[in-house]
Amino acid sequence: MGRMNNTNRALNRILLFVIGLVFLALGAAVIAVSTWPAAGDIWTSAGESADGWLAQTAETTRIAGTSATWIGVGAVAAVLIVIVLLILALTSVSGRRSKTLLRSSGAQNPLGRVTVTESFVSDAIKNSLDADDDLLTTSVTANTIRKVPVLHVSVTPRQNTSPRQVVERVDQLLTNLVTLTGQETATYVSVHSGLRAKLAHDRSRLS
Amino acid sequence: MSSPALTRVVRRETHSPRTVAMFVAVILLILALAYVGLEIILYLAAQPALLLGPGAGLAWVVGLPSGQGGGIAIAGAAVLALVGLVFIVLAVTPGRLSKQQMTWGDRAVIVDNGVIAASLAQHVSDETGLQRDAVVVGVAHRTIDVTVRPGAGIPLEREDVQSIADTAVDSYQLSRRVKTRVRVERPKESEWDE
Repeated sequence: MGRMNNTNRALNRILLFVIGLVFLALGAAVIAVSTWPAAGDIWTSAGESADGWLAQTAETTRIAGTSATWIGVGAVAAVLIVIVLLILALTSVSGRRSKTLLRSSGAQNPLGRVTVTESFVSDAIKNSLDADDDLLTTSVTANTIRKVPVLHVSVTPRQNTSPRQVVERVDQLLTNLVTLTGQETATYVSVHSGLRAKLAHDRSRLS
Repeated sequence: MSSPALTRVVRRETHSPRTVAMFVAVILLILALAYVGLEIILYLAAQPALLLGPGAGLAWVVGLPSGQGGGIAIAGAAVLALVGLVFIVLAVTPGRLSKQQMTWGDRAVIVDNGVIAASLAQHVSDETGLQRDAVVVGVAHRTIDVTVRPGAGIPLEREDVQSIADTAVDSYQLSRRVKTRVRVERPKESEWDE
C-alpha cells in the first residue's frame, strides 16, 4: 500500500534517463544515416575504418591455434560486467525496504519499567480500527526515515466516507496511545481508495 | 507537520518512484546486451551464429546508408527512439500521484483523490437531495470539478451547490489551495418544446 521504503529514487531516474538517451541516440542515428546521404557518408567511412581496425586488432590478438581472439574475450567480459551491474541495480530495489522495531521505554514506576514495542502499538491501533465498520482495511507499520522512527497508519475506508472523519478517528486513537505510552512518535496517516472500497457496499443508512 | 522525516515521507508518498519504468528499461538493456554477448561467445567458440555473427552484424550496420536495411530498419529505429524518448520524459517529469495532503497538526496525512471525490459527491448529494449518481466529482492536482445533473424541472441554483462544495472542501483542510468548479447540467428540453 504505502511505499515508505528507502528506494533510491535518484538512481531509478538516472538509470531511466541514461538508458532512454542511449535508445534515443541509437534510433536517431540509424534513421539519420538511412535517410540523409551526408550523414550516411560519414557513417560509412567511420564504419569502414572501425571495421579495418577491428580486423587488424583481432589478427594481432588471436589466441594461437584457435579462432578466438583476446579482443573478443574482452568484449564479452565488458558486456558481462555491465549486465551484472544492471542486475545489481534491479535487486537493490527490492532489498531496500526498511523495517524498524519501535521501542519506547517508559518511566520507571513501582511495578517496573514499561517498554512498548512496535507490535504492541500496531496491534493496538489495528484492533481498534478493525472494529470500525467504515474502515475496510487497516495496516500499521514502522519505518526509519532519516534515522527517525516513523509510524505509518494506512486505512481504506468504505466509499463515500468523509476522509476528515476517518482521520479524526485515527488521530484520536493515536492521541490516546500517546497518553498511554508517554511517547510521541512521528506519524503518517494515509487514506486510500481502491478496488475494495469500490466493490464494498455502501454502509446501509438507517434514517 | 514540521519534522524533516515527515516532510520527506510526504514528498515520497505523493510522487512516483519510477521503479516499474526503471525495471522495464534495465531489463530491455540486459536482454539486448545478453544477445550481443551470446553472439560474440558463439563466434569465439567457432559455433554457428544465432542470427548474425559479430562480423556480419558489423558489416550490416556499416552498410545501413546504402539502404539495404530497408523500411524495417528505419521503422525499428523509430520505435527504439520513441521508447528512449518515453524513458527520458518519465525520468525528468515529477510523476505526481493523485493524492492530496491534509493539514493536520503534527501528523502527516495524505488522502487519495478518489476518497475526496467520493466523499464530496456524497456530501453534495445529501445536502441537495439529488440522487448520488446525479453528482459527479473529479479531483485533480489543483482543481475539483463538481457536476450535478438535476432532472428537468428540479430547481437548483449553481451558487447553492458551489457554497455546499466550498464548505465541504474547506473542511478537508487540504494543504494545497484547490479551486472548486461547479457545473449544473440540465437535460435538453427540446422534446417538451414541440
